[in-house]
Parts: sequence; structure tokens; C-alpha cells
Amino acid sequence: MSKKDRGDAIGRRRFLKGATLAGAALGAPAAAKAQTSVAAATSRTVPPPDMAAETLPPAPDPIQQTSSGGDFMCDVLKMLQIEYVAQTPANTFRGLHEAIINHGGNKAPELLSCTHEEIAVAMAHGYVKIEGKPMAVMAQATVGLQHATMALYNAYCDQAPVYMIVGNSLDASKRLFSFEWDHAAIDPAVIARDYLKWDDQPASLQHFAESSVRAWKIAMTPPMGPVLLSLDSEMQENPIPNRAALSVPPVTRVALPQGDSGALAETASLLVKAENPVIIADRFARTQNGMDRLVELAETLQCPVIDEGGRSNFPTRHPLNHSGRAGAVLGQADVILGLEMSDLYGTTHALSDRIVRRTRSITKPGARVITISAGDLAGGANDQQFQRFQSVDLAIAADGEETLPALSEQVKRLVDADRKTAFDARRKRLENSYHAMVEQWKSDATLGWDASPVTLARLCAELYDQIKNDDWSLVGNGIRVTWPRRLWNFDKTYRWIGSSGGAGVGYNAPASLGAALANRKYGRLSVSIQGDGDLMMCPGTLWTAAHHQIPILYVMHNNRAWHQEVMYVQAMCNRHGRGVENAHIGTTITDPNIDFAMMAKSMGVYAEGPITAPKDVAAALKRALAVVRKGQPALVDVVTDPR
Amino acid sequence: MSRIFGIAVTMILGAAFASCAWAQDTPKADAANGKKVYLADGCYQCHGRVGQGGLMTGQAPVLAQTKMPYTAFMHQLRNPINDMPPYPDNLLSEKEAADIFAYLQSLPGRRPVKDYPILNN
Repeated sequence: MSKKDRGDAIGRRRFLKGATLAGAALGAPAAAKAQTSVAAATSRTVPPPDMAAETLPPAPDPIQQTSSGGDFMCDVLKMLQIEYVAQTPANTFRGLHEAIINHGGNKAPELLSCTHEEIAVAMAHGYVKIEGKPMAVMAQATVGLQHATMALYNAYCDQAPVYMIVGNSLDASKRLFSFEWDHAAIDPAVIARDYLKWDDQPASLQHFAESSVRAWKIAMTPPMGPVLLSLDSEMQENPIPNRAALSVPPVTRVALPQGDSGALAETASLLVKAENPVIIADRFARTQNGMDRLVELAETLQCPVIDEGGRSNFPTRHPLNHSGRAGAVLGQADVILGLEMSDLYGTTHALSDRIVRRTRSITKPGARVITISAGDLAGGANDQQFQRFQSVDLAIAADGEETLPALSEQVKRLVDADRKTAFDARRKRLENSYHAMVEQWKSDATLGWDASPVTLARLCAELYDQIKNDDWSLVGNGIRVTWPRRLWNFDKTYRWIGSSGGAGVGYNAPASLGAALANRKYGRLSVSIQGDGDLMMCPGTLWTAAHHQIPILYVMHNNRAWHQEVMYVQAMCNRHGRGVENAHIGTTITDPNIDFAMMAKSMGVYAEGPITAPKDVAAALKRALAVVRKGQPALVDVVTDPR
Repeated sequence: MSRIFGIAVTMILGAAFASCAWAQDTPKADAANGKKVYLADGCYQCHGRVGQGGLMTGQAPVLAQTKMPYTAFMHQLRNPINDMPPYPDNLLSEKEAADIFAYLQSLPGRRPVKDYPILNN
């Protein structure tokens, strides 16, 4: 056979093989047609038709399997020690869903049922701030992720790691008609990418294994943030071709970024030499060690600390906590150290909400400012959550909690006897100011004590009286109620988890529940001061609380309005000289009033209210807390004065 | 949050000190009508129904039994400092302002903390 002939023969064989595969894919009649045409081209003899082959039904599709990509994915989630996967069920992650509840035994991870994806993500947001490791969330790639994006934005702004999984149908030739097309995207993460630290759409199970570990590592490295994996539905559902060939990389321990030692030496020198140093902390303390080290540094310097409340950074009853005198201490400061500040400019300036928005510095001219923040390592440009630029003398781009021990050691080495004497005198002055401030707060709290609607001071005093002997955790405080920080003893980091980050309404109820879920295994009593407008964004949170028996007390701060907007619209009314008569239009939640107790009861949550008389608050709280201490959720609806 | 917290105390103390600088010149007025106007004109939305203070962009100071002189009170209504909305005379007459001032003076003020044991937890 000549080379040309050999080539023709090989080409023909390949063609026939291809035609056979194509026939199998397209169906027997097409295959028969292809074979017939080839035969006609190569031989004058036409074979008789194989009647048996022509009339038999096609080979049946396999209908059962013994392994699935979802099983493997579930195993990887277990290896990552993910305890919970919050979700609203959806077709594009049914493979992983089934693997978790059956292959994985619905334990570590356990599925949480949520009535909205925003609830699922916000629960993960609250959970991580107590537990210190991410919860996973599963959502459908288009419609589910769109529901989730609001909560992802909050988590991103709050530097909270959330492990997001979306199910997607990549292969267009395999999608069922209609809804599977509606639920597919070539790049689903694009709608949330501004709020994600990293994302990927793995093309194989091995790719998934590696990206899963990479996602975990990126999410947990400061500045922390949400990550997303888009998982093909076929990859989840179909058999694993060769399980033994798959490997999962071990999770890498990450040494977090510490501040440069030279920069810390300079900072320590400035702090020790300063006459009036001030420390401000915001999203600083991730763990109790963070709070303890901050107390250590403050006591070494005997300087005031302003806790901005992004986390529970400094004990409220420590006499160096001067958060309530921020303006006074900043006005005297000659050295300011900012730790993980989200808005240093806003803290050091006053802004007038007038026609001309003037700002003025509230710090002393010449004050030296140093920051330690992992935020300096963050990217992002579209969303403006990085706040107004504040020029500082030294910005140390590092993790605050990880860096503070080294700074404390440097400070201790520089404190001599003279400075210690000066520091002790400063401490006495600060203690006096602190005690005067606290007495003023208590006196203020008596104002309107018996008024109806209930004042927030009375409500917070009554609530603390009921929980003060428990190991309590304030997991939500939706409307910046300042009374807990004035009246309660926040002496642990888990006493308070910080706010939403992005000021997105709808965070408080579900994030509180996620934190309460994390607190459950530690036996802590979780309470949340809950705004009415916020709860109406995600009311289904209450059903999840009842369904999963998560102990939490929601105390409604029910002012029957989106009240910040009432005040803003009033300001506009009077700026334009028209009076506030119509300011309630579009800003209040009345006519009809919402019966939150009835709403909670309808979803299986113990509830009382609406309570309008302050004398009735204590007894209602007591009854509700008895339910919570038995492991169930409860809600007490208190009609309150606006602020 | 702390920024608001700090401004609060500064404003409260500012109001207290202001009372030392200005003489009292409170006009006679109708406290009952003052309450109606205080509620109708939305003062309570920031300062609380019984003048206990509240929170807007910054702290809205305590007004119950305010020691601020009437002239300073009027000045704050007409040409407010910080973020308080202005109340020009076409929105709030001199008489109505005086009635509000009388209402604020009629409110129960602070009580002894020792009478409220739960404030000492």
C-alpha cells in the first residue's frame, strides 16, 4: 500500500469512527444514514439492512450512579471544617444539596433553611464574627445570587469572610428548557464581584478542590472578605470518573501581616513621649486576645481609648474607655493611634449636614496620626466604603490585632520612671472624667422613665437587668442605640459583634441569628435590639430561628418608622421652608401598625407585645428569656420613642 | 458610633455651660399648647417626646427642663448650629416657640439615680 493509500485508509477509518460517535449522539437513523452514504462511496455492493439494529430501541441511559461530584465537594467542605451551609433550595445546586444531606449525613456541614438568600448571607456574616471561621452559603447562580448581593455588600464592607457557593449550568446543550436557561450565566459572579475578594468557576473537580482551599485562604487573610465559587450543576450531579486521581491540598496556615519593626519603634517612641496620646479602635478585635492586648497597651500608656464599635474592642467599664468623650480627648490629643479604622476622617472631623457641607478638624493642629490597618492592603474602587481620605504621618499596612503585641513590647521598653509617674497622673485625671461621664449617663437615663412610648434608656436598662448574670452576647443593635454601651458591662469581645458594615437595612435580624447560632454551642445568651424597618426586610428570619431552634431574644425597638429617614425628610422640609407636616409620608410604618408578636407567633416563635407601658416591659422580658434559656427563640415587641 | 457618642456629651455640657452665660428671660406661655406644637412640628422625632434627648446624625441634646435661656433657645430655632433643621417664623411663630419652651420647662427632669436600682447594675 502506498503512503497515499495508507493515508486515505486511516482517514477513512477516522471518519467512520467519528460518524459512529456522531450517530450515537444523534440517534440511530442518523447513524444509519451516515453508514449508508459511506458505504455507497466505497463499494458498489449495498449490504442488506440490519433489521434488528434498525428496529431496537436505543441503548438506555444510565439511571443510577454510585458516586457524584457533589459527594466529593461535600468531603472538601468537611475538610474545611465548615459547620453550616445556609441556603434557599434551588435546582442548580441540587447535586451538592443531596450530597450534604445524605453522603455527608447533614452534619458539619449542616444545611440551614432560609426563606431568602439575603437571610442566608447575613446569617453567615453574623456567624463568622462570633465563630471566627466562615459559614458557607449556597445560592442559585442568577436569581439567588441577586437576592444575596445586598448581604454580600454588607459583609464585604465589614471585612467579614463568607464562603459563597453558587450553582450554575454551564453546558448549554444540557440545560432543560426555560428555567435552567434563566438560571445560568457565563460569569455569574460578575454581579457581585465588587463585593467579593476572590471568585472562581472551576472546570473540573480537581480544579474545585484547589480553588476551594485557595478561596478559604484568601477569605481568611486580612483584610478578610467574602469569596465565591460557581459550581457547574453537572459537575455536582454526575459520577466521578476517577476518585483516586483527585487530591485536596491541605489548608495552609497563614501568618498574618505584622507591622514593620522600624515603624513600630517610631510609633512606640511617639506614644511614650506624647502628653496626651489617644488610641482609637474600630474593626480591631477579632478575638479576646485583641481586647486583652489593647487593654495592656492602654494601661502601659495610661491613655484614653475610643472604641468606635466596629467590634467589641475595649471594656466599657474600664476607666480608660473614653468613647463617650471622643470629641474632648481628640481635641487634646498630640498623638493619635488608629487601629483598623473604617472612617478615620469622619472620626477626626465634624461635618455639617447643611446646604454647604463644611467639615472641620476636631483634632489639635500638629497632632501626629499613626494608623495600623489591613485596610491599606485592600483593593476595590467602585464602592466608596473606604471613606474620605485622611492623611496620616505614618500608615502601617498590617493586621492590627497581630501587630499590637509587638508594639506593646516596644512601648514597655521605652517607659522609664519619669514617664511612668506622668502616666499615673494622667490615669487619675482620666478616671475622674470617666466616672463623671458615667454618672451623667445614669442621670440622663432617668429622663422619661415612666413615659409611653418606652424610652430607649428604660428599655435597655430593663433588658440588662434581666441578662446581667448570664453569659450574654448583644448580637444586634440595628439602630445605633447608644444606651447599651453606656449602661452595660461589655467586658468580652463576644458581648458585641459590630454592625452591618455597609449600612444596608435587613442585616440586623438575620446576622443576629447567625451570631446566635454560633453562640449556642458555647451556652451564651444571645439578645438583639431589633428595628421594625429592618425586620420587615427579612421577616422570614424568624421562621429559620424557630425551624432550627436557635435561642435568641429579639427585643423590638418598634418606633413604627424608618426613623432616620423621618428626621432627614424633616430636615429637607424645613430647609425648603415648607414645614414638617408631610414628613411622615413614605417614612413611617403605620396605618396599619404591624403586630410583630402575631407575626412571630405565626412562624413558631414565642412572642409578646405590642408593649407600650414601661411597667410591663420587665415581666415580658422575663417570660421571653425563660423560653430562650430553654433553647428557643423569642420576640418581645416594645413600642418605643423614636430614638 | 463613638463620634456621635462624643458629640452628645459635648452638646449636653455646652447647653449646661450656656446657662451660666445668659440670663433667664422666659416669657409666660401655654405649656399645654407647647406640647401640641412640639409633637406636631416633629421636635420629638430627634429630642424625644419628653425631651429626653435622642440621636440624628449626631446626638440631639436633652431638652427637658433645659437651662438654656429663652433667647438662646430662640436663636437655635431660627439659626440652628449642628444639624438641627431651621424653624423660621413662617413655620413656627414666636408664640408657639414660647409655648414649646414652657412645655420643656414643665417636663419632669432628671431624678436621683439611687431611686432606680437597675441603673446601678
